[in-house]
Amino acid sequence: MKVLAAGVVPLLLVLHWKHGAGSPLPITPVNATCAIRHPCHNNLMNQIRSQLAQLNGSANALFILYYTAQGEPFPNNLDKLCGPNVTDFPPFHANGTEKAKLVELYRIVVYLGTSLGNITRDQKILNPSALSLHSKLNATADILRGLLSNVLCRLCSKYHVGHVDVTYGPDTSGKDVFQKKKLGCQLLGKYKETIAVLAQAF
Amino acid sequence: MDIYVCLKRASWMVDNTRMRTASNFQWLLSTFILLYLMNQVNSQKKGTPHDLKCVTNNLQVWDCYWKAPSGTGRGIDYEVCIENRSHSCYQLEKTNIKIPALSHGDYEITINSLHDFGSSTSKFTLNEQNVSLIPDTPEILNLSADFSTSTLHLKWNDRGSVFPHHSNVIWEIKILRKESMELVKLVTYNTTLNGKDTLHHWSWASDMPLECAIHFVEIRCYIDNLHFSGHKEWSDWSPVKNISWMPDSQTKVFPQDKVILVGSDITFCCVSQEKVLSALIGHTNCPLIHLDGENVAIKIHNISVSASSGTNVVFTTEDNIFGTVIFAGYPPDTPQQLNCETHDLKEILCSWNPGRATALVGPRATSYTLLESFSGKYVRFKRAEAPTNESYQLFFQMLPNQEIYNFTLNAHNPLGRSESTILVNITEKDNLIDHYYLEPVFELKRQPNFVLLLQGIRAVPSKGPDTWREWSSDGKNLIIYWKPLPINEANGKILSYNVSCSSDEETQSLSEIPDPQHKAEIQLDKNDYIISVVAKNSVGSSPPSKIASMEIPNDDLKIEQVVGMGKGILLTWHYDPNMTCDYVIKWCNSSRSEPCLMDWRKVPSNSTETVIESDQFRPGVRYNFFLYGCRNQGYQLLRSMIGYIEELAPTVAPNFTVEDTSADSILVKWEDIPVEELRGFLRGYLFYFGKGERDTSKMRVLESGRSDIKVKNITDISQKTLRIADLQGKTSYHLVLRAYTDGGVGPEKSMYVVTKENSVGLIIAILIPVAVAVIVGVVTSILCYRKREWIKETFYPDIPNPENCKALQFQKSVCEGSSGLKTLEMNPCTPNNVEVLETRSAFPKIEDTEIISPIAERPEDRSDAEPENHVVVSYCPPIIEEEIPNPAADEAGGTAQVIYIDVQSMYQPQAKPEEEQENDPVGGAGYKPQMHLLINSTMEDIAAEEDLEKTVGYRPQANVNTWNLVSPDSPRSIDSNSEIVSFGSPCSINSRQFLIPPKDEDSPESNGGGWSFTNFFQNKPND
Repeated sequence: MKVLAAGVVPLLLVLHWKHGAGSPLPITPVNATCAIRHPCHNNLMNQIRSQLAQLNGSANALFILYYTAQGEPFPNNLDKLCGPNVTDFPPFHANGTEKAKLVELYRIVVYLGTSLGNITRDQKILNPSALSLHSKLNATADILRGLLSNVLCRLCSKYHVGHVDVTYGPDTSGKDVFQKKKLGCQLLGKYKETIAVLAQAF
Repeated sequence: MDIYVCLKRASWMVDNTRMRTASNFQWLLSTFILLYLMNQVNSQKKGTPHDLKCVTNNLQVWDCYWKAPSGTGRGIDYEVCIENRSHSCYQLEKTNIKIPALSHGDYEITINSLHDFGSSTSKFTLNEQNVSLIPDTPEILNLSADFSTSTLHLKWNDRGSVFPHHSNVIWEIKILRKESMELVKLVTYNTTLNGKDTLHHWSWASDMPLECAIHFVEIRCYIDNLHFSGHKEWSDWSPVKNISWMPDSQTKVFPQDKVILVGSDITFCCVSQEKVLSALIGHTNCPLIHLDGENVAIKIHNISVSASSGTNVVFTTEDNIFGTVIFAGYPPDTPQQLNCETHDLKEILCSWNPGRATALVGPRATSYTLLESFSGKYVRFKRAEAPTNESYQLFFQMLPNQEIYNFTLNAHNPLGRSESTILVNITEKDNLIDHYYLEPVFELKRQPNFVLLLQGIRAVPSKGPDTWREWSSDGKNLIIYWKPLPINEANGKILSYNVSCSSDEETQSLSEIPDPQHKAEIQLDKNDYIISVVAKNSVGSSPPSKIASMEIPNDDLKIEQVVGMGKGILLTWHYDPNMTCDYVIKWCNSSRSEPCLMDWRKVPSNSTETVIESDQFRPGVRYNFFLYGCRNQGYQLLRSMIGYIEELAPTVAPNFTVEDTSADSILVKWEDIPVEELRGFLRGYLFYFGKGERDTSKMRVLESGRSDIKVKNITDISQKTLRIADLQGKTSYHLVLRAYTDGGVGPEKSMYVVTKENSVGLIIAILIPVAVAVIVGVVTSILCYRKREWIKETFYPDIPNPENCKALQFQKSVCEGSSGLKTLEMNPCTPNNVEVLETRSAFPKIEDTEIISPIAERPEDRSDAEPENHVVVSYCPPIIEEEIPNPAADEAGGTAQVIYIDVQSMYQPQAKPEEEQENDPVGGAGYKPQMHLLINSTMEDIAAEEDLEKTVGYRPQANVNTWNLVSPDSPRSIDSNSEIVSFGSPCSINSRQFLIPPKDEDSPESNGGGWSFTNFFQNKPND
């Protein structure tokens, strides 16, 4: 038993760490076939557009709620504290083909989804009474999940894309509170800016 | 008499001076002698060992040293003898000696120095009192830092084993900061030497984070031994040790995420490689304290309580902001009203009131542990993630065979801890209601003081609950609300409530309502009812609280606006003697549906104001407040208000659309913002507009105060449309609309609109240049016309006087006498006169031709001084050149055959004399060409002279067949080979008239009466 623990556990740990080393993670194995459990809707692109429009409509309110909840001087120093300076944010090219745009959208949604998860977690600890902020963050995360599903469906069904390399938002768990606030604000600023471009591009 | 006095005074002054001089001299002499003697003594001393001093660092050994005799080099031997009980001498080659500590008393020390020049001996008396106790320099064994707590830890050895006795030691520790070693702290630390080497630890919490600057520490000591009678002195300072933080490349602010007590002083610093410009705590600027390099610090005094997300402290650099968050709060209050009960003899439910809020949430919130001391078991309070109206209670599993429980409720947060204790006995049972109430024996509050409180003697509730009622939205049911009784009025646990309503006819009672429920609904008609509510505990019922169901209508109601101050809202009203019972103020969140009730407060009838405060109030949320007056018959709504505890800026921008666009205006229409997102009373809208394209203009540009951005402040909040006028056509405009409250300006919504094209403007744009061009042309023409004289003089100078023209010199006789010259007698037409001044000279003179009306001019001409030299030729211009060969027919016709077009211009030959002669149908008679220049050819002149004698009268100067129908101002003829047509129109070379070909009679261009550019300048009547 001890031998098993001594041999298998480190192996599992190594395998686990290998995946979590911070490099882009493949969503599916490289040679995976594109398999969808449920058939996709016919009007997928309309749904994607609608979801993007919905996100775009609420992004500014979410941004304002967030920076207001962080206290002064956040609302008065948006350029320096909440400027969209997110270095590793996935790029988007509005003039690309639909397939290229969908792949880029997929990356962005994955990135935003993880980042919003971190922000929600941090804000529940930091601002437990900011219920409207929590509710808006949760609602946004829900729509993002739906959007991700739709984009994946579209990529699979039309373009047979079963593998997209993605990056995740920065992990804020080890950072100090101010860094959490600032990173969250920068990310929501970037989200507001990006979602407007995405809503227009599709 | 005067002289005597003067002499006497003078002699006295001299004597006095002498005496003073003599005494000064004596004093100087004595001083000199004294100095000499002292020098001699010193010289004598210096010749011997001197200045013996003894010190000790351990009270066991004295280290004595002296100065060597002066004038001696090295290689001196000393013999030191100490006269104590046993005479002992030591041979030495150095100037110090370590001797065992001597007991009390005087000892004679003899030091004999032996050197090359002889020997010298010095004697000293040594006593312990002359010995100095100077401890060895201490050494810091270890200096460490706990950066999280900004604490320095110091460790050193007291070396107590070398001291024979117990001694008190005073340690002095010096803390220095920054590279410049500024003294921060000097502290003393007392220990005792106990004969063993002992390690000592000392810690110091810095007011400034240790990361901010380098810190140095030194230590020295002073041994206070009671048995030692000599001088005690401080040791030297230990070698300095330092602590510094190794910064990485990133700018950081310290301390991070610290929890501190409200009212504390705290220092923040920014460790930075770049220059820090300013520092803010919240929105308050703080003066910078400069540390080493670019590091800066700020000091905050008496910090105020933080919001739940903490207080932000930021440092601004050129292009970034760095910061930290501080959490200022309170330690947990002593849990109040700790109460334990059981319903089923299985679990004990303990509830309490946490007391004052700590302002710390999340991981910094207060944690509670309920410990039962007899059994040693405990339960922990697990806080909900998002507490709302959190009830503080814990269940404790009852233990078999245990009747008495000693509960201690521990409260703990990062700033401190507190506790409450309750001892309960479970043996009592209230059979009536099958409910067990654990009678509190006593409650101990151990912190901050051990206060013994005896809690509640059991009795009926002292008064009825505070009651209010609301009609349901359909108006059929009456909802009765009541508040739980305070513990001092409940007199024990309230078990249930009884609600009843009575009218003149009947009394209706509801079933008993258990305690946690504080609301009941009764179906009633609109008759007057009196509702009564009774609270019951295990002992009995409270007196009833009564309230009338009837609401007295008030038609004169206006909705007012109120804004809070701080955490409350002040409401005032006028005193009304008709109000006989308490006023009631109720409030609710305006977004909630009816019946809307959050809370209410009763105010005595003699009051005229109250401040409404509630923990439930949130900034930016709209509340409705209703003030009810109370009369015997019922309540009457006196005032209805909407208000905010604090106004905030709107969270959304108003939705706006463009209703209409024209070439110069845009009509914009917008919608209301929902109340939840308005977060304050709408005060107006800010409408920005300016030229801008979608891709080039950013919304932020509008805020940057650009001069081309126009702003309209719409303060009439009922206005929902705006027409922007005076715009340019076919131009893209960037429109931005923002709403604002007293809490600030909300976000912006922008739109790009392109105005329509302005067709009228385009037409005007075309017409105006055309009109201008026309006007300029007309004005130029008028000016030229008016200034034609000047232009003529400038550009068309006068043709030389025809009198000097030899070409027109006709023989008088020829003109007068020859009948063959009938050609030029052209009557009855109105002839022109060509006055030819003829001089019979060998060479013809070129003279100007004057055209004169024969009727008017002839008499005068004839009376000229030289009549014989003048030949006035009257003729009509020939019309048809074919008739020219037949002058007789011309004469018979009696009409003018030659049309003169006045040409004052160039004098240049255009007809070849040879051709003229060849084509001359008259064969030399008639008119002779005016151009006959000597300069052309002398042979021709001779021939012309001969012709002149033969021919009299007019003769065309050119072959008419070659004439072209070209206007004089037209370009040259296409036929470039023809020299004749080069001028464009036939004309008399020397005359001012065009000679019009007969075929062109109808052409206005060739007609002498028509317009030509030259006529414009020339064709002036009577000119």
